[in-house]
Amino acid sequence: MPAASPASRAAAPAIVSVEKLGKVFLPPGGSRELLRGRLFREPVRALADVTFDVAHGEIVCMMGPNGAGKSTLARILGGLLLPSSGRATIAGHDAAASPPALRRSVSFIVGDERSFHYGVSGRENLRYFAALHGLDARAGARRADELLDRVGLAAAAERRYREYSRGMRQRLAIARGLLGSPSVLLLDEPTLGLDPVGARDLRAFLRDEMIRAAGRTAIVCSNDPTEARALADRVLFLERGRLVKEVAPTAIEAELGL
Amino acid sequence: MTPSTPPLPGTVTWFGRTLAAFIRRELVAMSGYRAAFATRLAGFAFTVIGMVFFARFVGAAANPHMAPYGGNYLGFVAIGFLATELQQVGVQGLARRVRTSQIMGTLEAELATPAPAWMVLGAAPVYEFGTAALRSAAYLWGATVLVGLELPRTNVLTVLVAVPLVLAAFIGLGLFTAGSTMLVRRSNPVSAMLGSLSFFVSGVVYPVSVLPSWLRAVGHFLPLTHVLVVLRAAFLIGSSPKAVGDSLAALAIFAAILIPAGAATFAYALRRARVDGSLTHY
Repeated sequence: MPAASPASRAAAPAIVSVEKLGKVFLPPGGSRELLRGRLFREPVRALADVTFDVAHGEIVCMMGPNGAGKSTLARILGGLLLPSSGRATIAGHDAAASPPALRRSVSFIVGDERSFHYGVSGRENLRYFAALHGLDARAGARRADELLDRVGLAAAAERRYREYSRGMRQRLAIARGLLGSPSVLLLDEPTLGLDPVGARDLRAFLRDEMIRAAGRTAIVCSNDPTEARALADRVLFLERGRLVKEVAPTAIEAELGL
Repeated sequence: MTPSTPPLPGTVTWFGRTLAAFIRRELVAMSGYRAAFATRLAGFAFTVIGMVFFARFVGAAANPHMAPYGGNYLGFVAIGFLATELQQVGVQGLARRVRTSQIMGTLEAELATPAPAWMVLGAAPVYEFGTAALRSAAYLWGATVLVGLELPRTNVLTVLVAVPLVLAAFIGLGLFTAGSTMLVRRSNPVSAMLGSLSFFVSGVVYPVSVLPSWLRAVGHFLPLTHVLVVLRAAFLIGSSPKAVGDSLAALAIFAAILIPAGAATFAYALRRARVDGSLTHY
C-alpha cells in the first residue's frame, strides 16, 4: 500500500480520540503514613486534561521528559490502566471499558524486557500469545513463524528468550504486537537501549513495513528526538502530565533547544 | 483491525486453546530446567517415604483413635497428604500464577491481549489441579506398591459427590488468596497461615479426636477438616454420601460463600491494579 501524504492522513477521520483525559495515582502509604492515620501518600497527578485526536494512518509521537505521563497515556489507551477523568476511544471502543474488541484493535508494544517467558524460545513465546488471541495451535504456529520471519528472527526462533540480545527482544515484542492484526499500534520506547544502527534499522522497519505498508495508525512514546523525527507525522509534547504543544518533526530540535 | 482478522472463537474453545498453549509452554520450560525437575521428583519421593515412616512407626501400635477408620493408618495418612496437596494447589495455584506473572512482567502483556483476565490466569490453576491429580494417583500407587496400602471398601459414589465440592471449596479459597496477593503485592499472605493451621487442626496425620474440644471447634471452620472427613470415610470405611452428609453440606456452604467472595475479591484486586497501575509491580 502506498504511503498517504501527511495532508491526506490529517484529513482522515480520527481513529484515536482522547478527551480531557486525567490520571491521578494514589501511592499506597507505608508505616509512617499509617501512623499518621493515612492509607495513601500524596496523590501524584500523571495526566491532566489531555485532549487530542489521531487520524487513521497517522503516526503521532508523544515526547516529554521522564515522568511526563507518556507511558501512563499509552497504558490507558491500551486498556491496561483506568483514567481518573475524561475519556479515550480507539476505533470507537472505550479504553476504560477495555472490551476484547478494543484489545484486538490496539496493540500495546512495550520495550520492557520482562514481558516474555525467559525459559522458552521466541517461537514458543509467540505460540502462547497466539492462543490468547484465539488462534488454534496450527494457526498460532503458522502466524508465529510468519511474524518471526517478518521481524528477522526466523533463524533465532528456537533460541531461548534469555539468549536474545536487546534488539532481538524488541523485535520479538513487535512480532507479538502483530499477532492479532491490530489497526493501532502503541509503541512505548520501541528502540530503547538499542545501538544507533540497530535503532535506525528498527525504526525504518516499523515505519515502512509495520505501519505505512499495513495501513496502520501508531502512537509512539519516546523522549528521543531522532526517533520522533524518523517516525512521526506530528509530535505532541507532554510536560508534567499536560499536553503543552504540538510541533512538526522537523522542528523538534529547535523546540528542545538542541 | 485489518480486514483479514478472523472472528474470536467461542469461550470454551478459546479457553481450551489457551490451556493447551499454557501446558505446552510449561512442559517445554520444565524440560529445560533439569535441576527443577529433579527437585520435584525428590519432593515426590520424600512425601512417599514420609508416608511409609508415618505408617510404620506411628501407626504400628494399636490406637483406639484409629478405630473409626478401620485401623488403616497408612490409608489415613495417605489421604491426609493427598487432601493437603489439593488444598495447596487450590489455595496457591492462582496466587502463584499472579505473583510469578507480576515478577516476570508477563501479566501486563497477557492482559493486553483480547483474552479475558479469567482466561489468562485460569489456565495455570487448571493445569496445577491436573498435575496434582496425577501426583495424588502416584502417591496412592507408591503407597500401594511400597507398603501395601489397600482401599477395598471405597465408596465411589461418595467420592464422585465429594470431588466437585472439594474442588469448589479450594478454588474459592484460591480466588480469595490470589486477590489478596495482588492487593498486597507480596507472596501469598493467606496460604502459609492457612496451610499451617489446617495441618495442625484439620487432622492431616492424626485424627482430630486427639485434639482438645476447642481446637476441634476451630477445625470446623476450615474446609480441609471436612474434606478429610469425607474422603477418609469414602475411601477407608466405604461410607455413603448420606453418612457424611454434614461434612458434604459444610463443603457446599464453604463453596457457596468462598467462590462468590473469592471472585469478588479477585475482581476488585484486578480493578485496583488497573487503577493504581500495579499490574507489573513486584
